[in-house]
Amino acid sequence: MEKEVKEIERFNIIERLQHVILLCTFLLVAFTGWALKYPDVGEYSSWWIKIWGGAKKAGIIHRVAGVIMVLDFIWHVLYMAYRILTGRIKIRAATTVIPLPKDVFDAIKNFLYFLGLSKEKPRFGRFSYAQKFDYWAVFWGMGIIGLSGLCLAFPVQASYFFPSWSLNWIWETIAIMHSDEALLAIVFILIFHFYNEHLKFHVFPMSMIWITGKISVDLLKEEHPLEYEILKEEGKVD
Amino acid sequence: MKERIFLPVILLMLFMLVSLSHAETYTCLVCHSAMKQKIKTETGDVINLWIDEERFSSSVHGFASCDTCHKLFSENPHQKPSKAIPPNLIDMFNKMKPKARVDGVALVACMDCHPDIYNDYAESVHGKNIIAKRQKDGSSCIDCHGSVHYIVSKSSKDSSVNRANVVNTCGNCHNNEEIAKKYGYGLHIVEKYNESFHGKKYRLGHENAPTCVDCHGYHKVKKWDDPDSPVAMNNRKITCGKCHKGATDKFVVAITHKPIGKDNPIPYYVEKALMVLTISVFAFITIHVVLEIYAEIRDYVFRKKEE
Repeated sequence: MEKEVKEIERFNIIERLQHVILLCTFLLVAFTGWALKYPDVGEYSSWWIKIWGGAKKAGIIHRVAGVIMVLDFIWHVLYMAYRILTGRIKIRAATTVIPLPKDVFDAIKNFLYFLGLSKEKPRFGRFSYAQKFDYWAVFWGMGIIGLSGLCLAFPVQASYFFPSWSLNWIWETIAIMHSDEALLAIVFILIFHFYNEHLKFHVFPMSMIWITGKISVDLLKEEHPLEYEILKEEGKVD
Repeated sequence: MKERIFLPVILLMLFMLVSLSHAETYTCLVCHSAMKQKIKTETGDVINLWIDEERFSSSVHGFASCDTCHKLFSENPHQKPSKAIPPNLIDMFNKMKPKARVDGVALVACMDCHPDIYNDYAESVHGKNIIAKRQKDGSSCIDCHGSVHYIVSKSSKDSSVNRANVVNTCGNCHNNEEIAKKYGYGLHIVEKYNESFHGKKYRLGHENAPTCVDCHGYHKVKKWDDPDSPVAMNNRKITCGKCHKGATDKFVVAITHKPIGKDNPIPYYVEKALMVLTISVFAFITIHVVLEIYAEIRDYVFRKKEE
């Protein structure tokens, strides 16, 4: 049997670029914001903030990176909306990133498989439930951290938009939201995203998909069988 | 040849002149730089008689003689004043009496050289606490600046009112449980500052981050609801506007020193809810990853042959 090694494009250049911008700005805001979240960890906090040029420069880096990240996110949303509205992307159960009831069942099946209670792995579409979780987590983060961050970076301007009945609690609340959800985002990326996409046996130490955009057909068949079937029907893969 | 001798002679004469002007100081210091024990006064106060000569002479007041401030104690052994004490000092001395321990005139003698500052202070919440409310534990000059004998320039890192130390200095009282209880202010004031963006930036060494005195003032400090206080609601647009150009009424209410508690339920429950969310997500992803690692190892080791 002749087996042809073939790759197909999973993420196009624009999606990859959006991901790289998100990655870089995420690291910058996480690194520069970290010392401000924990300013009292002995010498480490001042050592860490000095790496970023001191508290003032770290603050500027944090704001600039944050604004670029929000713009990147808006670009992505507009890009996706454009592709959906012009029919370049068709919303289908096996390929959509929109959460469906099947994702809940997939998660349960997966846990049963992990525990050895089931011998069958769930069959994923283009995006597994974990990947969908990953994707929508960015929307949550942008809504909570991005909005609160803009308010904190431009507090005088933000104050124009705050209704007077909210003033007793809104400042306190946005500071809490920004700080707490930032920690959640960092923990989430570090554990869930890194493990799922980069640290599993077959891709360790890093998946190249985010750079090349290409996924091998073997891996596609293994990890995204439902998408594979659709692509096969369409004659796009063997 | 003559010129060579001339210079040392001039220098020697200058030195003697300087020594003469400090003669009185040195006479006092003969004893007071050696007396390392503390003594108990008739009123039961334990006081320190020792003066660290080196620190005193390098302090900003090192040029002064002892009786510049200790006007009651000029004649050995401290019996009578050599000069008449100015009536304004006597007047202030009577007002500040509750605070006076041994030499009450020296306590108010700062006024002699720093009259404007002293008048500001007398009108402040700290000054009124002693003058009007007769409180023994109110703050006078030395409570913030430290002993007058050792005051160094504000720009020195050793100064208690230097930017690096001033929050701790205010905290001596404003973070002190007994004093907070007595005067009815919360213990959360310094803590809330430390948790605020201002305080966090200050602790990280941000050169523009405000300390207590940048918002509240210092010698003239008033309670926040006093209309003359820079942090009174009516004055906040000016005070906050020093850094935040164009500060609005809605903006200036952002800073309080109130703790997050049930009396302000929204931040309180938002924090609790986000904590629950963070912990649940953390638990979910950790369990998910750990189980998946387990399954991967299991499949690799035991189920490899089946494939």
